Amino acid sequence: MVVLVIALALFFDFTNGFHDTANAMATPIATGAIKPKAAVLLAAILNLVGAFLSTEVAQTISGGLIREGEGGIQISPVMIFAGLIGAIVWNMITWLLGLPSSSSHALFGGLIGAAIVGAGFAAVDYGVVVSKLLLPAVLAPLIAGTVAYLGTKLAYAITRRQGNSAAPKRGGFRYGQIFSSSLVALAHGTNDAQKTMGVITLVLIAGGFQSAGSGPVFWVIAACGLAIALGTYSGGWRIIRTMGSGLTEVKPAQGFAAETSTASAILASSHLGFALSTTQVASGSVIGSGLGRKGAKVRWNTAGRIGIGWLLTLPAAGGVGALAAWVAHLGVAGIIIDAVAGILIILAMYVVSQRSKVGHDNAISDVDQAGEVVKIKRKRKKKKDRLEAGQ
Amino acid sequence: MSIDWFAFVIVAVATLVASMVVVGFYGLGMRLLAVATDAAPTRQPAVRLSAYACFAVCVAAVLYGIYLIVPAFH
Repeated sequence: MVVLVIALALFFDFTNGFHDTANAMATPIATGAIKPKAAVLLAAILNLVGAFLSTEVAQTISGGLIREGEGGIQISPVMIFAGLIGAIVWNMITWLLGLPSSSSHALFGGLIGAAIVGAGFAAVDYGVVVSKLLLPAVLAPLIAGTVAYLGTKLAYAITRRQGNSAAPKRGGFRYGQIFSSSLVALAHGTNDAQKTMGVITLVLIAGGFQSAGSGPVFWVIAACGLAIALGTYSGGWRIIRTMGSGLTEVKPAQGFAAETSTASAILASSHLGFALSTTQVASGSVIGSGLGRKGAKVRWNTAGRIGIGWLLTLPAAGGVGALAAWVAHLGVAGIIIDAVAGILIILAMYVVSQRSKVGHDNAISDVDQAGEVVKIKRKRKKKKDRLEAGQ
Repeated sequence: MSIDWFAFVIVAVATLVASMVVVGFYGLGMRLLAVATDAAPTRQPAVRLSAYACFAVCVAAVLYGIYLIVPAFH
């Protein structure tokens, strides 16, 4: 059971990397700052490095979220298994429907739902849920968005050159983006790889292999880092394929500001053990930086749709996790039913992903969708921009 | 249930300061570099040097940030 959960958790980690490569690397590839292959490799390596940097978030999940061990509720590997199934199922559903959602929140939702069904409402430490999950989920994108807005304003203000014919020469931000997006990849490793580490540590504690309250051990850190890095690397083909399709119009200066604030917000939060959704923070930054440009307007419809997707994820994944836990508690047959359902869903995901339908809705990432929230007046000097790019 | 509001303030301030420093100095460096390139006939090594200094500040800020979050360094 423990081995099965670890395998499932690593698979979840892999899909996470697979799905999120685009968040970090889409803009520098789009602006031509870096070749797709190099970008993907860079992101994979930095994800691996990030996984080793800090384990605060892993400890939030393994040590705080669910009261385990002595005096608390005995959490079983079966519950964690059910929670993971819940998370994967919910991810699959949202992915098929094209709803933006956060795989991190799906994971937490699934775990919480399964724990409540398995051990009652007292199993979950709601203080930790609110202070390290819910509040960061709301505040971190807001912070990142505000900072990205200010950063974009600042970048444009500094590089604005008045008078004579001198061009503002903002093309250099394109090279800055290589670094800023690398930082996003690093930050992704410090936050998202940790979540899987937390889950694996939790199952090791539940299975009695590790004492309650202890942090992740080395092989867990290494395995999670590798899984997310591999996922990131193999997710690259998606980006390369979608290069031809329409990307949200993000200027290098704007992208640089957005990525810098995303990376700082995630790194700061990781340090304090906040388990947040990197996708949501990045979306907040993209929206914020879009607003920082002249003549920007918010498309409230799109923004609202994204918001609803975010709100829905935690309880919905909780529901699926609870259902899976309920089935699993029927005994061995229940576990088999869960496992079969999980495998079917993973297979379905694979089949659908093989279909070469790459539209704007599933093309790049949820962050790209966030870019559509902001409507920016198109400038007429397109030609000049292109000339600059050619330099 | 105790919520550590101060932690959110830290995140907000850290994010703000870090991004402003990096974006600000990178922008400044680029601008100085552009100025140095404009005046091609008369070379301006001082301007070019200060541009590189700005980029160095960016790199230093990033490295310092990473240093802060890695527990192994403390």
